[in-house]
Formats: sequence, structure tokens, C-alpha cells
Amino acid sequence: MNALPNALPSATRHQYFSFARIGAIASNTLLELIRLKVFYFILIFALVMISSSFFLVKLSFQAQFQVLKDVALGAMSIFTWLLAVLSTAMLLPKDIEDRTLYTILAKPVPRFEYLLGKLLGVLLLLFVALSLMSVLFVVVLYAKQQSAIAELTAHAAPGAMSAQMSAQIQDILSQTFTWNLVPGIIFIYLKAALCASLTLLLSTFASSTIFTIMVSVVLYIIGHVQPIARDYIMHNTQGASPAMIIYLSLISLLIPDLTAFSLVDDIAAGTAISTILFVKTAGMGAVYIVVYFLVGYFVFWAKEL
Amino acid sequence: MSTPAISIQNLTKEYSVPFRRERVTAVKDLSLTVEPGQVYGLLGPNGSGKSTTMKIVLGLVPPTSGKTEIFGRDSVEVDSREDVGFLPENPYFYKYLTGEETLHFYGKLCGLKGAKLRDRARELLRLVGLEEAADRRLGGYSKGMLQRIGLAQAMVQEPRLLVLDEPTAGVDPAGSREIRDLILDFKKRGITVLLCSHLLGQVQEICDRIGILHRGVLIREGRLDDLISIENQTEIILENASPELLGEIQALIAKTPARVLDQRKPHTTLERYFLDVTGSQ
Repeated sequence: MNALPNALPSATRHQYFSFARIGAIASNTLLELIRLKVFYFILIFALVMISSSFFLVKLSFQAQFQVLKDVALGAMSIFTWLLAVLSTAMLLPKDIEDRTLYTILAKPVPRFEYLLGKLLGVLLLLFVALSLMSVLFVVVLYAKQQSAIAELTAHAAPGAMSAQMSAQIQDILSQTFTWNLVPGIIFIYLKAALCASLTLLLSTFASSTIFTIMVSVVLYIIGHVQPIARDYIMHNTQGASPAMIIYLSLISLLIPDLTAFSLVDDIAAGTAISTILFVKTAGMGAVYIVVYFLVGYFVFWAKEL
Repeated sequence: MSTPAISIQNLTKEYSVPFRRERVTAVKDLSLTVEPGQVYGLLGPNGSGKSTTMKIVLGLVPPTSGKTEIFGRDSVEVDSREDVGFLPENPYFYKYLTGEETLHFYGKLCGLKGAKLRDRARELLRLVGLEEAADRRLGGYSKGMLQRIGLAQAMVQEPRLLVLDEPTAGVDPAGSREIRDLILDFKKRGITVLLCSHLLGQVQEICDRIGILHRGVLIREGRLDDLISIENQTEIILENASPELLGEIQALIAKTPARVLDQRKPHTTLERYFLDVTGSQ
């Protein structure tokens, strides 16, 4: 019982912003989600990838690669979004319900750091999950590419390598791995990160996890259909009332056009993404992540625990 | 004169009721001071405002009016929490962390790191008797073990003030005794303790001073001995007194205006009896 020294005034000077504290909360959040076994969904992704590659054997090589990329990027987008929403929605309510939040905020931890740590933990999780899915995707794509080349050379006469066959092999190589896969995956990440930030904002004032998830899903859908409404207004301003125009403009401002991040079709088709479009879309994503987080912080700052 | 560990001045807290104009007053014009080294018991029935007062002291809830300070620093400021350790009622820490990981996590939040943090965690695990359970996840801890790891996390940054909300709620008598001994040990070391408890017997054993809250108002406050002693009565406990001696004392008393109200053998407490019986098995 002699382990404790006598009570003395605190010798440490409080830091108003500490990366160490944020890092502790972020790594703990990542650990929480990992130990909740959220990565099991990657097995489902693997199943989708492997099974879809088997079902494509009857198609031409070009069509096989296109569909494979389409399925993989689509699945990556949905899985990362689901992971973002489901894991973020439960973080705050669980800490409040279990009173763990009290023990953390009773330490010299500002609410800003707590919330930022939580968000960074989820962003780390999304990064790890998307990296794993990308590796799996690349492995399946590479295996498919090699089997396509092997099949092509098997049908050729031994020792003969015609110019036509070289062109076909080159065609296969260029159709499988293209540089625009990278911005495509970055956009999937940004979209999921944006949804995580939005879900965190919702959870600062929502009364339950289910409510947070439902509203987040509804906003995700609105984010995908709002460009249609926007186009409609732009082309039919005479038919819409001013109130309707203001209302839809406000929605467009509050919820970004999530279809801007869906470049799967372009990537699968091999269309190059321009640098301007990339910077513009990535910038929009980053701004919305920061804005949602800051609004969430102000709500959380005023929240009576 | 030293700075009070806790200073509460004219504290009032009102909550708004959703969809209603009226407001509920949880704490009304509360003023009290806890001096360094004291064990202060805040008592009151459910809904009397104890938890709200504690939350305001810890800066978790802002006051409607009034001010609270911890060692002279406003509770609203984050840095005031450098000197405070808090154990909430029925805490559920992160179940996926082991005992040692839990202390590392809370230590990092207080700016500890490296060898100092590891040594401190081991020290605290030894102090609360959880060395053997250090590598077990909290999901497998009993209620008493959770309270003890809770006390350890509250002590991680060596605070001068501990705020404990029902620290022995739901814990068996042996565990409850251990926690009480720990609090007494903190007291010996000069650590100030603000304790909220429904277990009045326990409060009586360890607190120097108490305050009784009722409907948000502090209705009694003072040194425990002053509040509960009966001024016109005296208690003498004798050991090995013969019947002759008792007779003489009775005769002596009969010559004075004083009268004997009760004469009986003192009882041990049920807790002590229970611990003696279960400890000998």
C-alpha cells in the first residue's frame, strides 16, 4: 500500500491541444472497432470478388475486366460506406450510455480532441479496410489477367508469337491495370469519410443509434438524387416556385452531390479522370468533412451530458 | 489559508423540459467548501441533485448561475481537471481493453507516456489488487474488479482530488471493504475525496464532513461528529467490568440528576461479522 505518493499539486502544465491525447483516442477507437470484429465483412467482399470472377468466364476478356472492375469498385464503395455509417453511429451513444465518456472528459481532455480522436479512429479504420479490399481486388485482377494471357498463348502455335498476339496481350495488360484506378479508390475513401463525418454530426444530437443510421442512410440517398433535382431546376426554372428553388438549393448546399464521387463507370470503361476534376472533387469532399466535423463539435460542445 | 479543494458558490442548475415552458431546478443556490485532505460525503435521496453537482464540479455540465472551482481553477476550464480523478456510478469501461491497457489509455489522456506510464500502471494495478488480472479483458471482470480498476484509472495522474459516485454500489461486502480501505488510504496521503453514497454506514466511517441535499437544496452541512453527536448524552464503553463495578457506577449515578437510558453489550457490525465468518472458511 506504499505505492502512492502523498498528494502534491499537479506538476504538469496543461496543453490546450495535444496530438498525443487525440492519438490515444483515435487508436483506441480503431482498436475498439477491430476488436468488434468489423473486418469480417472483408470476407464477404472476398466472396463477391472471387465468385464474380468465376461467373465471367463466358464473356470476352475486355468485358470480363470491365465487369470485374465495375463489381469490385461498386462493392468497395458500398462496403466502405456501410462501415463508415455503422461504426460511426454507435461510437458516441455507446460512450454516453456506458458513462465511459464521463471518465474521459473528467480527465483534462477538451471535447474537440475527443470528437476529433473518434473521427480519426474511424478514418483510420476506413483506410485499413479499403487498403485490404484494394489489395484483394488487385490480386484477383492480376490472377484474371494472367489466366487471360495464359489462355491466349495456349491457343497459339508453339514458339510462334505473331504481331497480332502481342497486340492482344498488350490490350489485356492495358485493360487491367490503369492509373485511374487510384483516384477512383481515393474517391471511394473520401465519400465514405464524408459520410462518417456526417454520421458523427448526426450522433451528436440524435437520441439513438438507429435514428442516426436511418437519417444517415436517407441523407446518402438524397446526396445521390439531389443532382437530378438540381438539373431539373436549372432546366425548368419557369415551372418551379421561388420557395422550391431556395429549398432545393439549400439541400444542395447542405448535402453534397455524392454522385460526383462515383466514377466507377468511367474507371471501368478506362476513361481518364482529369486533374482538375480530381482536385475539385477531392477538395469538395475535404471541405464537407471539415464543415460537418466543426458543426458536430459545436453541437457536442453545447451538449449537457 | 490554503486554497479549497472544491469551492462551490451560489450554484444553481436548471434544466429545460422538452416541449414545455417550465424549467426543472436540479440544484438551488448551493454553496459549500471542501478543504484539502478532507473526505466529504454528499448525501441525499435519488433526484436530490448530487450527480448534477458532481457533473458541474467536473465541468461536464455548465451551471445556470454560480461558480465552482477546483484548487482555485474554474471547473469550466479543462485544465482544472488535471487535479481530479473521477469514478462514476456503475462505470462500464471499454470491455475490449485489458486492465493494463485501460490504465495506459487513461494515462495517455493525462499526458503520461513511455516507462513512466508503464510503471504507473503497474503500481496502480498492485495498489488495487489487480496485478493478476492485468492481462484480462474488462469484459470478464466482476463488479468489484471493475470498481477497483475504476479507482485506479481515477488515480492515474496522481490527482489531489477524487470524486467518487457510489463507489461500492453493487459490490459484495469484501469488495466494498477493500474499496473503503483504499479511500481511507487516499485520505492518509492527503488526497481530498468527494464521495456520494447511499450507504450511510460507510459514509459515517470514512467522512470528515457531510452535506445533505434535498430537492436541490443543501439542508444540512458540517463536521460529521458535530452533526450526529447527541449533546446531552455520554457513552462509556467498558471492558471486563465486574457486576460489582457496574453496581457501584449505577449507585453513583443515582445520586446525581443524570439517568441511565440504556445499558447493553455493544454489537459488532453485521459487515464485520460477515467478513469474519466468510474469511475463516
